Parts: sequence; C-alpha cells; structure tokens
Amino acid sequence: MWRIALAMLLGDKPKYLALVCGLGFAVLLISQQCAIFMGLLVRSTGPLQNVRQADLWITDPTVKWVSETRNLADSDLQRVRSVPGVMWAEPFFSGRASCDLPSGGTRLVNLIGIDRTTMVGQPPKVTAGRLEDLRIEGAVLVEESSRAKLDNVKIGDTLKLNDRRAVVVGYCQAKPGFDSPAVVYTTFANAILFQPLGRNTMPYVLAKVKPGADIASVQSSINSIPGVKAFTWDELNNLTIRFILIETGIGINFFITVLLGLVVGLAVSGAIFYQFTMENARTYAVLKAMGTKNWRLVGMVLIQAAWVGLIGYGIGVGATALFTLQSRRPGTELAALFPWQLLVGAFVGMILCISVGSVLSLLKVLRLEPGVVFK
Amino acid sequence: MTVATQSNDRAGQSVVAAAPAVRLRGVTKSFGTGQMKVPALRGVDLDLQAGQLVMLVGPSGCGKTTLVSVISGVLDADEGECSLFGVEWRTLSGEQKTARRAELVGFVFQSFNLLAPLTAWQNVAVPLVIGGMSQPKAKAQAVAALAAVGLAERAEARPSQLSGGMQQRVAIARALVGSPRLLVCDEPTAALDAKTGRTVLELIVAASRRVDAKGQGCCVIVVTHDNRIFHYADRIEEMEDGRIKDKPSDFILAEQQHDAHTPNGAAVVTPSLASKP
Repeated sequence: MWRIALAMLLGDKPKYLALVCGLGFAVLLISQQCAIFMGLLVRSTGPLQNVRQADLWITDPTVKWVSETRNLADSDLQRVRSVPGVMWAEPFFSGRASCDLPSGGTRLVNLIGIDRTTMVGQPPKVTAGRLEDLRIEGAVLVEESSRAKLDNVKIGDTLKLNDRRAVVVGYCQAKPGFDSPAVVYTTFANAILFQPLGRNTMPYVLAKVKPGADIASVQSSINSIPGVKAFTWDELNNLTIRFILIETGIGINFFITVLLGLVVGLAVSGAIFYQFTMENARTYAVLKAMGTKNWRLVGMVLIQAAWVGLIGYGIGVGATALFTLQSRRPGTELAALFPWQLLVGAFVGMILCISVGSVLSLLKVLRLEPGVVFK
Repeated sequence: MTVATQSNDRAGQSVVAAAPAVRLRGVTKSFGTGQMKVPALRGVDLDLQAGQLVMLVGPSGCGKTTLVSVISGVLDADEGECSLFGVEWRTLSGEQKTARRAELVGFVFQSFNLLAPLTAWQNVAVPLVIGGMSQPKAKAQAVAALAAVGLAERAEARPSQLSGGMQQRVAIARALVGSPRLLVCDEPTAALDAKTGRTVLELIVAASRRVDAKGQGCCVIVVTHDNRIFHYADRIEEMEDGRIKDKPSDFILAEQQHDAHTPNGAAVVTPSLASKP
C-alpha cells in the first residue's frame, strides 16, 4: 500500500512540489533563523573565546556582559596578585576607540590591550608580522577580517586611534564581538596611551590559578576584595548570553521569526496536505469500498506525510547548512551556528508542521463514507 | 440464514439453490434527519443467486445505488435483514465488513475510479495488494486479468493513456482479479459508446458465468439506465420510489425482447428470467 500512497503523492506533481517547497521553506526559516540567533549569541562571546589562558576574569561587579566594562584601579591588580592560589594576574584592556582611516573616514574599533611582558590575552593566531612587535610604542595588529573595515590597511600603514598615531605591524585572527567591530590588538601599555582613562585603567584582570589550587576557593577569595568580582570563563560566557537574550530584545525578535516559520509551515503544509487528501478522497473511498482497512489508510496518509516531511526537512536543513558554511568563510559578516541540537529542533518543527496536515487528513479519511464512490 | 429459494436458469429451467447469494427482507434506508429525512429504500425484499446477472433499472433517485450500496456492505441498512452469502452485514463490525468486502465483492463504477498515478496492472493489482499478496505475485495475476479483458499489451499504460472503454475494461479486470462472488457494476456503460458498451457487458456476462475452483458462481448486479444492454440480463428488477416493483414495466421487457432479437444480439439471452424468483 505504501507504493500506492507514494504513487498518489508523486502523481500530483504541482501539489507535491508545493508541499515539499512549503515544508522546506518552513524548515529553512526555522533552522536558519535559529542558526543565526545562535551564531549571534556565540559571536557576542567572541572576546571571551579569544582568551583561553586565564582561569578567572576579574572585573567590576556591576559588569553585565563581556563587552561592557567598568575599569578597575591598578591597586586591584596588586590585591588580586596577593590572593593565595593565584599563579599570575595580568591586566587586560578591552574598549572602544575611534579610528581615523587613511581615506579620511572614521571607524569605531575594539581595542584589545594585552600584557606587554607575558602577552597574556594574545590573539589566537598571528597571520602576518610578529607578536613581539607589539611592544613597539604605538604598534598594533589588525584582525584580518577587520582590514576591510579599515580601508584594507597594510603592514606599515598608519592609523589614528583617538587621534594618536598607531602603526600596523601585522595581522591576526580573532573573533569579533556582538556588533562585529573592527578589532585591533596592542599592548596594555599602548592601549592606555591610545585611550587615557584616568585613575582606573583596567577593564579586566586575567588570573591563572596555581596547579592544585581550587579555582572556586580562589574565586571566592578574590570576590572578598571590595569592588571586584571574579568570573570563570563559563560564568562570564553565560552572563553575556543572558544579557544578549534578555536585555537586547534579540531573543524575542528571533523567537517571533522562528514562530513565524513554524506558522508558515503549519499553514502551508497543513492546508496543502489537507487539500491533497480532499482531492484524493474519492481514491480513498474506492480503496475503502474495495476492503482497505482503516489502519492501512492511516498508514498511507502517514507515509505521504513522512515522505514530504523528510524531503522538506532535507531541503530546509541543507540550505541552512550551506548558509552556515558560508558564514565560516573568513571575513564574512554572516553569523550562524548549526549544532546537532538544531537539527533535532528543526525535525521537531517539521513533525509539528506535517502533524497538523496529517491529523486533518486522517480525520477526513477515517470519516469517509465509501458510498461516495457510487456518486 | 439458509433459505432455499427457487429460481430459473438461463434456459428457463427451475433450479433450487441452497442459499441465495443476496437476501434482503424489509430493508429500509433513509438519508438526513427530521424534516429533511429522505427515504431511499422502503422495505425491499430481494433474493439473488450466484451465477445470475441481474440488472437494477429505474429512474434516477429511485434507490438503485443505495440498494447496491447496502447489498455490498458499503452502507448500513436502517432496518430489515441484508445478508451476503448467508452472513448478515449487521452482525459484523466495521473492520469485519471491510474484510468481507475485500474477500467477496468486486466493484465496477460508472466513472471507472481508477487510480490515475498507477499503471493498468497496478490498478488491477490493488485488491490483491489490499489482501496482502506480494507484489510479484499480484503483478502476475493482474497481468493475467488484463489479458482476460484483452488489455495485456496495455499493462504499463496509465489510465490517462487509455480510452474510456479500455479504462472500464481495466476496472472490470480489477473487480474480477480477486475472484469476487458478488460483482456490483454501477452504470458500467453510461460513459461508453454502444460498441464499447457491448464489449464491456460481454465481459460482465462472462464474469457471471464464471465458476471458481470450489464450483461457486458469481452473482452480478448491474445498475443501469442503458436500455441497449437489457438483453444481457438474466433477470431485471425495476425500482420505483425505493421499492422493487413486482414486475418490470412492459417497455423494459419489450426492450429486452427487442434487443434479444436484433441481428447483432449474438449474446442474446431469453427474457424468461425477467421477473423476481
């Protein structure tokens, strides 16, 4: 009977294509929007992902997410260093600076300042030039994908950061932040020259716990220092994601779009599938009159639903996967993340979509009077 | 429910059948409710034997289609007894009725009701597949059934590639492939020209003469308005206003007589059976 079911389905090509396309589009909308949303969430934690050397990020207790900083005083650095169990603690700068471009334009850049001696907080990969050259006064490394935003500056070119001369000494690769700014690395010492901040100059102190020491207890000890709070990488990551989800409104906006995808899928696939069943009601009645049992008719409808559902799902997640691959290209502004959980979520969405059409169709088929074959 | 009934064979000889293929007593059926209630059958009594080709005739709305629907278990009667080969439909559950229809009843419809996306042999194989037969075996039997109606060479054609007559022959092959013991034909020639109609009727007549391996014949009921085919009937029952008339109208008998003596009436049967047993 499954052959008959599929023959009925594939025999009506316009409806079959409409069903598959409708479901494919719905799955695409659901999975792609979720992928972008997750990509943006992960991008928002980009500055964190660039730094893996530290066990603890110490900053002001009022900080809500990684890119929103309130500076600590130099004395806080010494206090942290004096906490038992701390192997090292180094200043880490992260802030915005205005960059005058060679073409005459201006661009806001994310200025990252790493410790001059230990290079703690360095970019994940230096692709041109030498990291050590950052120790030169006014030297900067430009993140590769940011070069396009900075008039494609080359090594040796000069920029102006907050009206102070900066020389490009190399390129690096690093993940940008939520709003995808141009990223420029320099030393902490250079950074506070580019962006004088008064008495308090340190957005973060990065700390490493001694081997064998308990991170939680060291964290607790640091937290007892007035005016500072230590976060583990995971805590600051979650804090950032929570902030983006709740305080930017992006969560609800994406939720609405995903819901829209689901509604479109439900409406399109449900309506077309039901219409398809209605148009084949006579065929089902003939089969019923000839002695096909109800459970077999139910099976036929479910096979048809599963067929279009799986193909639509394949098209939808396939398109999202292609989109996600595009987002991995260097320099792209696309943000997408496609974990296996999203495959499962999109599958559930597809099941929801075809369930509506299937249930409506099954009700029709089960209530069908075989007597209509004589009409 | 084994009531011995007397009937006449094709040659007018009296035969005694152990049990009628179809037995109806006081069958009523209405549609709608309250003031909108429309009676379709008003107490029908009828016995039909296996091996008979019975034509149900009468004006539109007289209850012919409702009657064959009740006989074939597609519709439930409101009141009265309706049994098929000794088993009352009303004693069966929905699933049992469906299974019994699959086992015993073949249908030929006015509009063929072939499944458009399937080929001719796939259409014919549908009842076998419903019965759980394997695909290769069903195909072999379906092709054989198509050969029996002269369409072996069109086994792979889809309904849209066949003429109306060919489609009806495919429908007949489909109805007969499972060796049904009751063949219900609803206006089988209405959509066909005279020549094609005759071809189709000859196949239906042949079905009524068929005897299976167990020696059981097939009871064939043809609902029709087509007076061109009356002469093929072993027996004609005329319906009027939800009832079966005691005797068909004279003009029906005349048509049957007339056709029976036309030069083309090669398959002519005598009208001697044109009354209730």
